[in-house]
Amino acid sequence: MDYTKKIMHQSNYWYNDGLGKAKIRDMSGAIVSLRRSLQYNRGNIAARNLLGLVYYGRGEVAEALVEWIISKNLRPRDNIANEYIQRIQDASGELEVINQAVKKYNQCLAYCEQNGEDLALIQLKRVITDHPTFLKAYQLLALLYLHTEQYAKARQVLKSARKLDTTNDLTLRYMHELAQNRGQKARKQETKKKSRAVEYSLGNETIIQPAQNAMKLLAGKFTVINILIGTLIGAAVVWFLIAPAVQEKKNDETNKQVIESSERINALEAQVSAQTRMLDQYRAAGADTEADAQNAATTADSYENLMAAVEQYESESYTEDVIADTMVLINRDTLGASGQAKYDELAAAIFPAACQTKYETGVAALNAANYEGAIENLSKVVQMDANYDTGGALLNLGLAYMRSGDSATATTYLQQCYEQFADSEYAAEAKTNLDAIAQAAVEGAVAPEQPAQ
Amino acid sequence: MLDYEEELKKFKPSLEVEDIEDAVYQEDLSDMTDLLKQVMDQNNK
Repeated sequence: MDYTKKIMHQSNYWYNDGLGKAKIRDMSGAIVSLRRSLQYNRGNIAARNLLGLVYYGRGEVAEALVEWIISKNLRPRDNIANEYIQRIQDASGELEVINQAVKKYNQCLAYCEQNGEDLALIQLKRVITDHPTFLKAYQLLALLYLHTEQYAKARQVLKSARKLDTTNDLTLRYMHELAQNRGQKARKQETKKKSRAVEYSLGNETIIQPAQNAMKLLAGKFTVINILIGTLIGAAVVWFLIAPAVQEKKNDETNKQVIESSERINALEAQVSAQTRMLDQYRAAGADTEADAQNAATTADSYENLMAAVEQYESESYTEDVIADTMVLINRDTLGASGQAKYDELAAAIFPAACQTKYETGVAALNAANYEGAIENLSKVVQMDANYDTGGALLNLGLAYMRSGDSATATTYLQQCYEQFADSEYAAEAKTNLDAIAQAAVEGAVAPEQPAQ
Repeated sequence: MLDYEEELKKFKPSLEVEDIEDAVYQEDLSDMTDLLKQVMDQNNK
C-alpha cells in the first residue's frame, strides 16, 4: 500500500469534512477537521486556504493571514490565497480598525484579570461595534454579563455569537448556563407568591418587568374609574359654579348695553324734542311775525279807510250809509290815539243815520226772504251799534242767519239778544227761536217765524 | 454555575497584525509524511 496515497486520502477526507462544516457555519468543527487535514498533508493548499477563510469568518483576521501567507509560500502561483491577501492589503483602513479592535480585546482580557470588569464591559462593547464578526469578543462579553448577572444582555450577545459559529463549545455552554439559571429562577418564583415577570424584547434590549397581579390590574381599573369620577365632578363644578357666573357676567354686559342704548335713545329723544321745541318756537315766531305783519297790514288798511271815510264825509257827496260801509272796514284798535279820536268823531256823525238806513234795508230784505242782503246790512248795523233798536238788530240778524240755514251763527246772535236784552220785547222771541233751532236740530227742520216790526 | 475565573483562563489573546510574521515562522508545518520519515529513520538506525 502506498502510504503516501493513504495519507493524501485522509487529508482530503478531513478537508471535505471541514468544508461541509464550514458551509453550515460550524466554524469550530471546520477548524478541527481542517487542521487534521493539514496534519495529514501540510501541502493541502485547499485545506489551508479554507482554514484561513474559516478564521476570517470568526473575525480572526491575523490567523487567517498566517494561513494564507503559508499557503502562498507553499504554492506561489495559481493560488487563491494570493487574491485573499491582496484584498486585505487593498482594504488597509479596515484592517487597521480590525487590528485596533483586537488590541482592545487583548486589553480587556488584562482588565478582567485585574478585576476591572466594568472597564472591560465598556471596552468590549466598542470592540464588537468596530469588529462585528469577532467571536471571541462576544464570548468574553457574554461571560462578563453572566458574571454580573445581566442575563438578558448575555442572552443577546450569545445569540450573536451563535450566528457566527453555530457549534462553538463556549457559546453553547454559556447558553446552557443561562437556561439553567432561568429554570432555577422559575422554580424559586413558583414557591414564592405569584409575581411573574413579563419579558419582552425591545430592539437589542430584553426587558424583564414584574407582571401585574390582580390587585394591580384592579388598581388600573380603579384609576380609570377615578378619572371618570373626577371628570364628572369637574363638569358639575363648571355647570353649577362657573357657568352661572359666566352667564351672569354676560347678562351684566347685555344689561349695560341695554342701558347704554336706552340712555342713547333718551338723549336722542331729548335732542329731537329740543329741536321740535325750537321748530315750534320758530313757527310761533313765524306766526307772530305773520300776525305782526297782518297787524301792520290791518293798521295800514284802517288808516287808509279812515282817510277815505274822512274824505267822503268832508266832500259831502256821500250818504251816511256809504261812508259807514267804508268805516266798518276800519279796525279802531289798530289806530293811534288821534286816529281813534277821528274815528269816534266820524262815527258819532255817521253811525246813527247809517244804522237807521241799513236797519230798514236789512229788515226789508229779511221780509223779502233776501237773507243774504239782510245779513249784509244787519251785520253792518250790529257792527256799528250792537244795541241798536234795543236788541232788534241782533234779533233780526239772528233770524236772517237762521232762515238762511246757518243755525250756529243764528244761535250766537239770538243768544246775545236774549241775554243782553232780557227785559225787552225781543228777548222772548229770541228765546222762542232758540228753542225752535234746538228742536229743529233734533227733528231736522226749522219753522219760519214772522219778522218783528 | 460557571466559574468565572476558570472560564476566563480559557480566553487567550488574539493575534495582532504585527505578530503575523512571527506566527508564520513559528507555525509547525509537520505532517504525517514527516512523522513517517522520522519513524523510518529511527528504524534504519
